[in-house]
Amino acid sequence: MTAVRLRVNGAEHEVDADSSTPLLWVLRDHLGLTGTKYGCGIGECGACTVHLDGTPVRSCMLRLATLAGADVVTIEGLSDKGGHVLQRLWAEMNVPQCGYCQAGMLMAAAGLLKRNAHPSEDDIDAAISNICRCGTYPRIRAAILRAADAGSAPEAGSPEKS
Amino acid sequence: MTQQTVDRRQFIVSVALAAGGMALGIVPAAARERAGAQGPWATDDPGATELSPWIEIARDNTVTFLVPTPEIGNGAMTQAAMNITEELACDWSRVKVEFCSIRRNYMEHGVYDSGFLPFFGGHGTDKVRMHHELQLGASARERLRTAAAQHWGVPLATIEAKDSLLTHTPTGRRLTYGEVATAAAKVRLASEPKLKSPDQWTFLGKASPSKLNIPQIVTGKAVYGIDVQVPGMVYAALKQSPVQGGKLKSHKPEAVLGMPGVRAVVVIDREKTPGTPVPGKATWGYSTNQLQSGVAVIADHYWQAKTALDALPVEWDAGPGAKWDTVEQIYGAARALHDRPGGKVLRESGNVDSVTDGRTVQGTYSTPYCENAAMEPLNGTAVVTKDGAEIWCPTQDLLQAYWVAIDESGMRPEKVRLHECYVGGAYGRRTQADDVRVVIAIAREYPGVAVKTIWSREECFQQGRYRTPITTQFKAVLDERGYPRAVTGKAVFVGTHPLFQLPLGYSDVPYFTSGIIPNVRLSAASLPVNILDGAFRGPCYNSHAFLVETFIDECAAAAGIDPLEYRLHLVSRWDKSWGDCLRVAAEKAAWGRPLPPGEGRGIAITSWPNGAIHNFGTIICAVAHVKVTRRGELEVKQLDYAFDCGRVANHDAVRAQIQGGAIFGMNVALNEQLTVKAGEIVERNFDHYPMLRLGDKLPQVNVHFDALSGYKRWDIIGESPVGPVGPAIGNAIFRATGKRLRTTPFRDHDLSWT
Repeated sequence: MTAVRLRVNGAEHEVDADSSTPLLWVLRDHLGLTGTKYGCGIGECGACTVHLDGTPVRSCMLRLATLAGADVVTIEGLSDKGGHVLQRLWAEMNVPQCGYCQAGMLMAAAGLLKRNAHPSEDDIDAAISNICRCGTYPRIRAAILRAADAGSAPEAGSPEKS
Repeated sequence: MTQQTVDRRQFIVSVALAAGGMALGIVPAAARERAGAQGPWATDDPGATELSPWIEIARDNTVTFLVPTPEIGNGAMTQAAMNITEELACDWSRVKVEFCSIRRNYMEHGVYDSGFLPFFGGHGTDKVRMHHELQLGASARERLRTAAAQHWGVPLATIEAKDSLLTHTPTGRRLTYGEVATAAAKVRLASEPKLKSPDQWTFLGKASPSKLNIPQIVTGKAVYGIDVQVPGMVYAALKQSPVQGGKLKSHKPEAVLGMPGVRAVVVIDREKTPGTPVPGKATWGYSTNQLQSGVAVIADHYWQAKTALDALPVEWDAGPGAKWDTVEQIYGAARALHDRPGGKVLRESGNVDSVTDGRTVQGTYSTPYCENAAMEPLNGTAVVTKDGAEIWCPTQDLLQAYWVAIDESGMRPEKVRLHECYVGGAYGRRTQADDVRVVIAIAREYPGVAVKTIWSREECFQQGRYRTPITTQFKAVLDERGYPRAVTGKAVFVGTHPLFQLPLGYSDVPYFTSGIIPNVRLSAASLPVNILDGAFRGPCYNSHAFLVETFIDECAAAAGIDPLEYRLHLVSRWDKSWGDCLRVAAEKAAWGRPLPPGEGRGIAITSWPNGAIHNFGTIICAVAHVKVTRRGELEVKQLDYAFDCGRVANHDAVRAQIQGGAIFGMNVALNEQLTVKAGEIVERNFDHYPMLRLGDKLPQVNVHFDALSGYKRWDIIGESPVGPVGPAIGNAIFRATGKRLRTTPFRDHDLSWT
């Protein structure tokens, strides 16, 4: 056990856990942030995607030992009260089905928009490799495209569906 | 109809309807928040709370519905709320939903028990329950109106109820539902109000609200089973016999008990199952969910438990299942049954043996094992003490989970509390509650402490209750026009349990039942194996649809008749819907318009759950447009769906289910198969079990509503779209390449052409 200091959603934490513990389980078990999901544990599915120093990463692949001083943002910290444009469009366009993969999808999508404010369909398809067993991909793509069209702050509430 | 007054503090009237109960109550908003603070489940203490069973109106005008149906992603929970809202005329933006307490249902003699499979996740528009929910809403609305009329001393007819407001129309005076709910609950109605007719609806079928839990999903606040947090909770990592049916031979707990955080190593053994102390009422019974021999490590944190489990020396006695060296050996044994007598005849008309003259089309069509692969791994949290058991779980069927929890804890039903969480996908995997049983079995071995058990993804893959593989030998003798004069089908199910040997999509298809083919004999046999099969989205239908619709397409090709025209003829003696679905899907997909070499369209039509009943279930047709390069690379460019579920209560929810189901079914057809080595499932994670992703050039999925018959039913949608997509793509590949694919997954086939 070694205590590791890192910043999560803007708050400093000192985590005292086995140094081999993946960031995913640090977040879920030690910090109580269960919005980040376990799906595969091998970096395949992307359900555990968070931002590390501003970039989307698979948190199941990062060990605590390597995270001293890291700046992590999870779905709980993506916005204040769900106000991120993608969160609003996800609700408006009825994107999730079971919803389990969607935190990871949103973090991946938010990361994409951060580095490319106007992604094309191909950009989206290339950037987001997360798995959704319910098959919500067409709506995910449509919502990201609309977020890009709308710029940073579209009005919520339009009843239009994909 | 009976009425009774329940004497509790603020809890008022209970009206017992035919198959359940309704109560209208008013509760302080704070009390409501406490009840639902930790998760989406309702409180389950009858008598210990003033909360009412179905509808609660808080002082702040929030309306909470307590519904029996789990939320697995199809919106069944939201649909139940829509049904009540239509008649209650409440403000949708103030509606909340929670999962009812199944224990309360037991103790209050079935207050949530109405309709077909009332506690199952797939049926938001069940006819009986929908009626019940509409009646509950109407009954509450009339009490609210009456209370407002009494408050103002005005005639009832002058009170309008809309958007959670009661308006005295001559004066414009207003009261909120919350303001009069206490008084409303004391109102006795002389008779239950008459319901609106569907053409008077303003919400159902008109509005398409998003699912009510999406705001929680997108902020990470939705509590799935795996997210439950109980004070003092510890974690368990689990390993069951890698060869299903095998037994734990030996293990060395002392090797890991000193590792960080490790508290215990426990053995899972079905000999220890106490059994239910009273006659059980599990939806699906107990035989599909018996414990498999295994071992679990309990630790302070999951990572510690998993690390120790990986280090635990374990030896297994593989048992008879080890004889299967490969999955091909299993399928070979299944095919060998085609030539043996003894299959059960499911349908017989005319005399197939008498038809010998004519062109013959014959083939064997097969589907493999697949894993449900819900994104939320199996899990659950339980605490067992000498006085009772409490469990939090993401189940697809509350009643099944409850009774399995009773059976495995040995506790009386009133001592078992079960809290439903959001379900991170299931597709049938969470129907039998074998997961719930394991969670209880582990917690029972470590009493007094809440234990959260999580299956690793690898454990999920190895301990599936897989799609039932089916191999069917079909033979048709065609008449002079090219249509079948006789069809013989011999299906073999690979698996042991009768519950998962369903004929749906096989012996109920109108081709075979309507008399258009004069001589039919369809039979089925089964091959016992150690590997456990189970429910997989549209159980068995998902296989039969491929087997039947590929075979019929081959008949059409042999006859030289257009596959659309061929099917139109074969459904012509049955409900018009079938022809309508075929025509709409084909027309929207530009059927018949020429395509360049290497491209093709294919069509398939199916129905779930039973095609042999008139105006029943969902009839659904898909047309696929594919492109295959000369080197054999496949691209599915477009899918067009037309369907008839009667009527639609939420158009966007239906569209979402069909879009998602299309991609689910496409993945099954293109990618999915499990293989076997020495009795064990080989594929253990997504690196060896490909799943479609955005980068895989997904098709445009068009959902057309033009074939809806308007027949007065709102039938189930979720299973149906996985049926026709695979055969439609396979049939399109045939048109594009000349190659006929009789087995899935298609990625196993060489599709190159010259």
